[in-house]
Amino acid sequence: MNQLLPDFLSHIRSLPALLPRLVEAIEPRARRVLSTPEIYQVRQIILTGSGDSHIAAESAAPALRTWTGLPVQALKAMDVARYLTQGMKKHSQHLRGALVVCVSHSGEAARVVEAAQRTRAAGARTLALTANPDSRLSRAATNVLALAVPDAGAVPGTSSYCASLFGLYLLGLRIAEVRLCISMDTANALRHELTQLQVPMAHAIEVCEKPLAARAQAWAHCRVADILGSGPGAGAAAYGAAKLIEATGIHAVSQDIEEFFHLNYFVAEPAEVATLVFAGAGSAAASRTRELSGTLQDLGRPFLLLTDDARFGLPEHSLVLPVVPEWLTPLLGVVPATLLAAFWADRTGAAYFRGHSGRWRASQSGALVRGSAIEPKAKEDEG
Amino acid sequence: MNTYTLATDRNGLFDITPQVLAALRESGITDGLLVVSIPHTTAAVTVVSHWDPLGLEDIDDEIRRLVPTRVDFKHQADTPQDAAGHVKAAIVGHSRTFCVDKGELVLGSSQKIFFWEFDGPRRRTFHTQVLGK
Repeated sequence: MNQLLPDFLSHIRSLPALLPRLVEAIEPRARRVLSTPEIYQVRQIILTGSGDSHIAAESAAPALRTWTGLPVQALKAMDVARYLTQGMKKHSQHLRGALVVCVSHSGEAARVVEAAQRTRAAGARTLALTANPDSRLSRAATNVLALAVPDAGAVPGTSSYCASLFGLYLLGLRIAEVRLCISMDTANALRHELTQLQVPMAHAIEVCEKPLAARAQAWAHCRVADILGSGPGAGAAAYGAAKLIEATGIHAVSQDIEEFFHLNYFVAEPAEVATLVFAGAGSAAASRTRELSGTLQDLGRPFLLLTDDARFGLPEHSLVLPVVPEWLTPLLGVVPATLLAAFWADRTGAAYFRGHSGRWRASQSGALVRGSAIEPKAKEDEG
Repeated sequence: MNTYTLATDRNGLFDITPQVLAALRESGITDGLLVVSIPHTTAAVTVVSHWDPLGLEDIDDEIRRLVPTRVDFKHQADTPQDAAGHVKAAIVGHSRTFCVDKGELVLGSSQKIFFWEFDGPRRRTFHTQVLGK
């Protein structure tokens, strides 16, 4: 056993208790971060970030779209920083009415800082979602929602990812409630669901540990993995792929379930491609996921359906998680994603992030993402 | 004291007269006072003619004109509708007292007792207390 595994498991088991504390800490701040007039000025919401922060944005976007009734899109920081304002005339204020939520746990990711600077210059209200209120991102933004993250422990990006998701959900509920898209009772009921997620999450840890340890052993020879999901499950899949890359160093990619049939289906040597599927029986994508299950079997891929209904797929290819509303899939999905990555890394002896050493030493202290040159203005605006 | 719950599905007036009459009958009091009390700050209690449902809409429309839901209330902890609701409820009032005579609630033929919701839909409560002999 890798000496880090007990620490990882201990941290994962501590996650359920963290959830109510996150709601308690972040909700009052989300309530105050935007004034009522500011909320009523919003015409569209852009969620942006890089890495886990972009995944959090991608995960939360469907729920925010449903609750607020506004156009909500999750964009990568590079797209927002370099392409969203490209071609806009100087001082055009083309993004007036846009709320750009810039997510960065450290507040120092260069491209996210740049995204805030450029969209603010184009007229957007920019809201930093960060654990560091004194960061470059906080200074670049018009509003700051500070995320309280108790000791993140040894598992990379788990507590901070949960905090980012909670920040996005609580911000979305606040906007929807103030705009009278949902009643205060409904908003409070949804906040309660966030708090109460600790119960199914604790149960998920219990049911996942042994099966995923066995699955990691069976899949340890694979150097490639597909993690599949749609809607909120797409965010969960992206997070699952990210944790596998970080922990094991294998080439893991996430893919939408429909897109799988167009693209990843054709990957050669299917028996060597480990495949994990977020397959909620009540998901809007459930019927397509059932078709996917048969296709994976025909291909001979080693695969596992993370479902919430024992009748959804064949027992040998299924792991049944507690039932939660589909919008909470990204949070509950942290459990299987993190556990599989931890067990797989333990099985192969991989060092997380390759130990930030050797060929990967340039990544120490986040230097590769924090140290990138910021271009605060588009090239056409220079001079 | 009796406590009742109701789930309002909108803003507006909800007839609670049947519950109030039931509370009076249950009390056994024939002469005295009956109090209806609303333990909320965005809802109120009032007495209105019940004959024409459109009259109920008029009353709700009129208080919306008097206290419109706007975004510039200083109270921003909750929603603009909540902020307007506080003002409306303060104007209308949170309790009403009625006479009880010979076991009957003294109401005119047009009068009914209404719970007035200003921040619905919500799960709500109201109380009745009967005093006398």
